[in-house]
Amino acid sequence: MSDIPSDKARSDSPGGGDLNRRDLLVKAGQIGAGAVAAGSLAGAAKASPARRKAAPPRGGKVTWALEQDPAHIAPFGGILTANHWGKAPMYESLIEWDVKLNERPALATSWKVVDARTIDFTLRRGVRFHNGKELTAADAKYSFDLQLNPPAPGSVAVLGQVPAIAGTEVRSKYVLRMKLKNPDARVFGYLAWNRYSAIVPEGMYGQVNAGREGIGTGPFRLLEYQPNSHLEFARFQNYWKRGRPYLDALSFKVLPDEQARVAALRAGAIDGGTFSADSAKALGQNRNLKVLRGLTAAFRELQMTIKPGDRKPWHDVRVRQAVNFAINRQEIINRVYSGFGEYSGHVPPGYGPWPLTRSELRDRYEKHDLPKARALMRAAGVANGFTVEMTTFSTPLDFASVAAVIKAQLNRININVNIVAQEPGTFAANNGRGTFEWDLTARGMRGDVDGYLAEFNPSSTAYQAWYPLYRNVRVWRLVGNGRIQLDQKKRIPMYKEAQRLLMNDVVQVPLVAVSKFQVVRPRVANMYVAFSDFNTGLHTSVYIKR
Amino acid sequence: MYGYVAKRTLLVLPTLIGVSIAIFLMVRLLPGDVIDVLLGADTQVTPEVREQARKQLGLDGSYAEQYWRWASGAVQGDLGDSVRNAEPVSSILRDAAPITLELVFLSLLIAVVVGVPLGVVSAVRREGSSDYLARVAGLIGVSIPSFWLATLLLLFTSRAFGWVPPLTYVSPFDDLGANLSQFILPALSISVFTMAIVMRMVRATMLEVLSQDYVRTARAKGVPRRRVVFRHALRNALIPVVTVVGFEVGVLMSGAAIVEIIFGLPGIGNLLLQAIFSRDYPLIQATTMLIAAIFITFNLLVDIVYGFLDPRIAGG
Repeated sequence: MSDIPSDKARSDSPGGGDLNRRDLLVKAGQIGAGAVAAGSLAGAAKASPARRKAAPPRGGKVTWALEQDPAHIAPFGGILTANHWGKAPMYESLIEWDVKLNERPALATSWKVVDARTIDFTLRRGVRFHNGKELTAADAKYSFDLQLNPPAPGSVAVLGQVPAIAGTEVRSKYVLRMKLKNPDARVFGYLAWNRYSAIVPEGMYGQVNAGREGIGTGPFRLLEYQPNSHLEFARFQNYWKRGRPYLDALSFKVLPDEQARVAALRAGAIDGGTFSADSAKALGQNRNLKVLRGLTAAFRELQMTIKPGDRKPWHDVRVRQAVNFAINRQEIINRVYSGFGEYSGHVPPGYGPWPLTRSELRDRYEKHDLPKARALMRAAGVANGFTVEMTTFSTPLDFASVAAVIKAQLNRININVNIVAQEPGTFAANNGRGTFEWDLTARGMRGDVDGYLAEFNPSSTAYQAWYPLYRNVRVWRLVGNGRIQLDQKKRIPMYKEAQRLLMNDVVQVPLVAVSKFQVVRPRVANMYVAFSDFNTGLHTSVYIKR
Repeated sequence: MYGYVAKRTLLVLPTLIGVSIAIFLMVRLLPGDVIDVLLGADTQVTPEVREQARKQLGLDGSYAEQYWRWASGAVQGDLGDSVRNAEPVSSILRDAAPITLELVFLSLLIAVVVGVPLGVVSAVRREGSSDYLARVAGLIGVSIPSFWLATLLLLFTSRAFGWVPPLTYVSPFDDLGANLSQFILPALSISVFTMAIVMRMVRATMLEVLSQDYVRTARAKGVPRRRVVFRHALRNALIPVVTVVGFEVGVLMSGAAIVEIIFGLPGIGNLLLQAIFSRDYPLIQATTMLIAAIFITFNLLVDIVYGFLDPRIAGG
């Protein structure tokens, strides 16, 4: 990757429509000196109607319901998505994503790949932490040291998500050198995801209880976190992105029960939250509420084990292909997700430039083709079918529904699926150990595309647990080389090719990406459903309509 | 009498030890530990990292070692740290316990204040319209699940009045009015079952007592009806009710778990459910021990009060 220039004016809104005053002046300057002069003469108070309309007003407070308690808000080693919901407003990393997952500078203004194992990051000058201290390379080094060995309440268990960073060193006040154990392209996505890569002031863990308090550079500073109850944030006045955030305050209320969220939203006690499709549909009938919908990285997937011992029918690739063609994904979307969803490959749709195209999936690799499925079963010598146990989560309830649809669909090619619903903890334990025949499971957000395909690297733990008998050297090479290729443009065709090969081998059968619904009161403007499953809009783009 | 109290108190200790061992084993026999739950099928975690994470959380060593570590800490007041957020379990419980205790107390209060008079009226006006009404209400009360009623009340007040209880816990010492407005719906939700039980129990025992010779004698002597009911009959009829109320504390505690989640109250029921889902062993153990201790204490108090109310029991 070449050097990245300093960033310019930016927008976090989905449509890119929210411009701050500085952006507007830049644009005005592009239009012509005369216009600028006219604007200057008119003065800020007499700005044109168009300008007044474009600039989001500042002020106000949004109260948002969280469906799960963060448990803690430590910047490092938090595993739950809810951990990040709680800490996201106050922490930032060196790089960030825009809404389309394009990487762009954040606390680092640029970075230079010195060699395959060395990257120099130049930090943004003048950035202040919530305690007033200026950001320096020493703070970044302290943060990376903790990322590589997360103290309690974080867990070292997250290290699987951390790329091969050997360590960092301070080159100057504003330059940090990162050394990699080996070339690892995941670094940039890891930083942009910001889930495990926050930058905190040096010595923070000695100054505050990191599980309940925090000091970051983000748009909001934490006032209070009461576990199982609420989090209160206030606008950070010295935030380095001028004019942001638009809100004066942000409040999170922990309301795990969906009906409680429905009641609170109706009563105006909260401004928004996340809801199931059914509740969102019901709330959408209320003219005083607005339903937002968007795909997230969470997609459903059917996994199969291919292990030594009993030879199972699906060890034959033709049977796996038959299963893939017998599954009607559109029917799953219609029947279980009320028509809101999308076909998913091994990389979910919406994950930047990495997934296969919609038409590739719908018209080719995931096309519902029952005659072809039956022919493949016949060719494999199992036209009479077989019985298999498919394990899935007992909650959320959509898993059982998807399982029931799949059971009916596979019954048409004489595969008798016995559905076993397990409590999430039990399911996770069995899945991790590979003690299942078929698992109907879900995937989540990853910092880098490698996170979706790493289990096809034969050295991975999952590969050994799930399908040690699976062989495809081309896939191995693509996945292995994709991780060490630092040029993102060169990586894209590699991962696309790997996905096409995997859609042919169908060791895992990707199913559908599901929509997430958030419902807000109309006064909450510019909120959007973030693909990452975070509530990013709340601390970047949301403002209160006057 | 003192011997009776001492004997009942001493029995608490082996009960608590038994409970602690049972809970310790039960949570560990569940498939999957906190690392499995948190990581799920994270494909990039090596077994070495998983093991390191278990060690970090103190989940290494045999069950016997782990129990000994926990039990020896517990007797010294150290209940360990939550594996979810590394906070001392004792401080988590200190924050959560008053909320649940207040909820249970208010529920019990509502149940007794409403249930006892209803039972008395029902017994005194036997086979009358108010008796039938109270009995039907009692039947409905024991049939309605508290979580269902809680959800219904919440949706009803939000739709009908555009009102829901405050979402952030308010201590009664900070603002009693806000606190009560926060607790009234959850307390009502879980009190209905107990209220119905109390009402039915009072009615049954009142009917029995009202047919006793001494009541008939009092009436024959011309003692006013109100005095006969409240001074002679009710006082004796309440003895078995005390036992029922003691047992109902357990029912109310279990009802509180779901209702606290519905109303977003950060009490120990809410805490326990989250701890179970995330396999937070120290928190599960401490919370269930606390619930068991509260339940046992209430039953001990009931036994003692019973002994005072009816000296024949204490006498053996």
